[in-house]
Amino acid sequence: MLIFAASDKGGTGRSVTSANLAYHRALAGDDVCYLDFDFGSPTAAAVFDVGDARQDTEDRGLHAYLIGEVSEPARIDVWSETEHQVLRFPPPGCGRLVLMPGDVSGGEFATGEENLRRCVDLLMTLYYEFDLVVVDLSAGRSYAVDMVLEATAQPEMSEVTARWLVFHRWTRQHVGAAASLVFGKRGIVAGGVDRGHDEEALRNSIRFVRAAVPDPESPLWSQVSPTQSAWMRKTDGDLKQLASNHGIGYSQVLGSVPLEPVLQWREQLITDEDVLDSQIANEATWQALNQLAGRLTDDKYWEPA
Amino acid sequence: MTAAPGQPARSVLACGEVRTCLLPSFQALDGRAAAQLLRLRADVHVRVSERPTTYVLSPEILTGVDCRLPTSNGSKVRAVGTVAARAALTEGRLLQSTAYFSLPAAGPDLRRPWGQYLVRPGLVEPFGKLPQQATAEGVLRGAGRGELDLGMIAEGLLSQLRRHALLDRGKPFKSSPTKLRWVARRTPEGERASLVNFTVAEGGLRTMELRLPEHIPAASAAGICEDLALHDWLLTSVQHMLDNSRLGAADGPSVVKALHPIVVHLLHLWMPRAHVDPALGHLWDVLEEKPGFSRQWENLSRRIRDRLALQAVAMPQQARSAQAEGRNPNHIQTGDKT
Amino acid sequence: MTEAVFQETTAEPRTQAVPLAHLSLELGHLYMEDFEAGPKRLGEHFAEVRIWVDAVRASAARRSKRPRISTCFLIDDYFTRFSTPAELIPMVLKEAEKAGLVIDYLARESACAVADRVELAESVMHRLVESPPPGSYGSRPPVSRTGWLANGQRTPTMPAPALGGRAKGWEPPQETAARNHSIFMDVELWSEKDGRRLWSCPFLAAVWQLARLGLLRHLGQPVLMPREWQGGDFPPDWDRLDPLVKLTDTKAPFSAYRTCTLMPNRFLAVEDAVRLVLDQIDVDAGALQQVAERSAAEGMPVPAAVAQRATYVFYEEPGGSSEAGET
Repeated sequence: MLIFAASDKGGTGRSVTSANLAYHRALAGDDVCYLDFDFGSPTAAAVFDVGDARQDTEDRGLHAYLIGEVSEPARIDVWSETEHQVLRFPPPGCGRLVLMPGDVSGGEFATGEENLRRCVDLLMTLYYEFDLVVVDLSAGRSYAVDMVLEATAQPEMSEVTARWLVFHRWTRQHVGAAASLVFGKRGIVAGGVDRGHDEEALRNSIRFVRAAVPDPESPLWSQVSPTQSAWMRKTDGDLKQLASNHGIGYSQVLGSVPLEPVLQWREQLITDEDVLDSQIANEATWQALNQLAGRLTDDKYWEPA
Repeated sequence: MTAAPGQPARSVLACGEVRTCLLPSFQALDGRAAAQLLRLRADVHVRVSERPTTYVLSPEILTGVDCRLPTSNGSKVRAVGTVAARAALTEGRLLQSTAYFSLPAAGPDLRRPWGQYLVRPGLVEPFGKLPQQATAEGVLRGAGRGELDLGMIAEGLLSQLRRHALLDRGKPFKSSPTKLRWVARRTPEGERASLVNFTVAEGGLRTMELRLPEHIPAASAAGICEDLALHDWLLTSVQHMLDNSRLGAADGPSVVKALHPIVVHLLHLWMPRAHVDPALGHLWDVLEEKPGFSRQWENLSRRIRDRLALQAVAMPQQARSAQAEGRNPNHIQTGDKT
Repeated sequence: MTEAVFQETTAEPRTQAVPLAHLSLELGHLYMEDFEAGPKRLGEHFAEVRIWVDAVRASAARRSKRPRISTCFLIDDYFTRFSTPAELIPMVLKEAEKAGLVIDYLARESACAVADRVELAESVMHRLVESPPPGSYGSRPPVSRTGWLANGQRTPTMPAPALGGRAKGWEPPQETAARNHSIFMDVELWSEKDGRRLWSCPFLAAVWQLARLGLLRHLGQPVLMPREWQGGDFPPDWDRLDPLVKLTDTKAPFSAYRTCTLMPNRFLAVEDAVRLVLDQIDVDAGALQQVAERSAAEGMPVPAAVAQRATYVFYEEPGGSSEAGET
């Protein structure tokens, strides 16, 4: 299965969250490949803590592959290349976790038939090889988004299940922007239909992920005044209404990730050690990520509304 | 294969890369469909052999190159010529593509008219003297940016075939492709071909070094390398499927489900030397001695059969009901889609 | 390789050989405009050609005491259809005879596209292996998609400058085998009209050269083989005329080690394009080897490159007819 991670704007935690989802699935025994299609600002190497391996693959990443300069994009085996102390010793029974980095120097580029060809070839190759392929796309209606929309519309990919996660923060602006990224005039759905996607099918393959959501009931906020607390509840309620009005209400949401300092400040994988031993990350975050990871392939959450 | 008269085209080195993968199709192709798939040229025969296994070999196609050779010591040698590429399908299941070329010891210092290169397909001429050792090592290491890229040519052919409309693009089970890079040093005629080295590296990469007497065509070397790559792929893939965590502690129908594709699609594919030039068949002997390719395969097959037998003993009930289902044509399971 | 006991014919395909003359001499190539100008024009052509035929025979005699030379003639029925075989062919033969020439083999141009239900042009197209410009390390330029073939690198198309990038100025094309300066040529191989492919004149002429050089095969079998003319009237319809007809009882086969083509000098550009195409065709290796071995055995080895085996005489068209022929 292919998972495309998109977001309306930067700073939604799209990369770090989708990387964590890939990590959870690999822990659960799936062979997972993570593609950094965030051309221009590739961050995945930092999230997976594979900086040195990244240096070695300089200029042989996805960008160089798509423009035809190398025959295949570099692969980094996260378990063996990471400098992260915990990731280096994955539990027995876990699957492969492979990162395909972007290129540091590679910006966006003009779309062309050959690039598209190579993109389809790559996605198909990985589809045959992995259980799950997570593709992190640059923010907005970017070239990366256009390319994978075009690629998945090709007849040879018709049998491959592709699902979209649209990440957004839990604010008025972000809710509106996420809705417009998907349903707007120049949105993903319209762009997909232009390229030959079936509108119903495409809509049904898109779910939203609310990121950095403050939970009014969380102990984090136990010290706030009653007025503040009431205001938070009210705002949260208003946002839910707003989301619903934009067509991205409850039924379109795959899950939420709570406001988590470790994700916000460090952009890293959250390991069980972070939760249990050093306790720098919240149990709730781990749970949310785990749940979200499970729902990626759980058809129940992808049935037509 | 003889060179055109008056053309000193004696090669000192042959190099190639083989890519091996599962054919993306639920259905294994029969000989006729396979021949259609591998008909890279409408006017040339596809070679079809049905004994002892169905093996279909495409005609060769050429790719023109004019670039630096990959070298291990950084020496920059420009070379011009054509790289031959071909594809093979074994038992309608395993798809392979090979890109290969030969190199003479030296070549002219300027580029000749293109037609002169085309009449010697699969020959790439260096400008000046060929640094043999550095080039052999460079090929095994893999091409750097802008260097002659056998992988790109082999992969290009493979992806072209995987896009073929004849294929249903199904995924009978998850598997990784492998690549095998090889170099063959030419030795005087009369000497016996030998395998110098076979290395299993990370990331599905295998490398191989041979010594090849002059009278044996490079295409034959490509053939033995394809044969070894194919069997190495089988070992690698089945081992990986057995190592899969979910199988380790599991029992019940999940074991049957996991082992099912191996039994249906792979177990019958083991057939070393089946379509190899007889002059090169003995290269297998070294690998049978150590590590013992066939020995490992027998062991794996036995593990699978034992596992399934155990399953049948442990769950006679289920086995019986499965049998009953099998009799009902409405319940026959073909592969499962993901 | 040791001879094995067990054999499968489908596993070891062979290339069948064709009989070969020393030289295939083309006496002309008839287009509608030549026909429209009348038999007199044709007669003047043959009279001019006759001079050069004698020269070519003299040249061939230097290579062999008893040169095997066959003559041929090509009539266009592909780009424009005019007259009928019944009307045209006797007229051509009569005018040739008047000039003292004998036409051994006669071919229809459309036979270079399709002959005996074999798509010759299509097959040859799939055999194009483009001359790689320096820096080609294995990515394969798709010829079949563009329908054009060049002898070098084209002027790059100028895309809209990327954000922050600067627009580049014009860059010249580059002939790959240039000596000091480029002579860049880009040849159209075919055009598409109403979903039908129309092969270009140079491309069909390249197929024609390969046929004359004995280098065409289909699944190992020779194609465009001559059929004997049984006498009597020629058919009233071009489609009912065999693609390649043998008109005389000459012993010299149609195909040959070398070709020589006699034609008016207005065809110079076409034939230059033919050489460009021939220089980038990966010819059937079995056929190539047979020709090389047999020509060497007769003491007249062919040049290695196929394009080098074709020679030409371009003559001035008689009677200022070149203006008349121009459209």
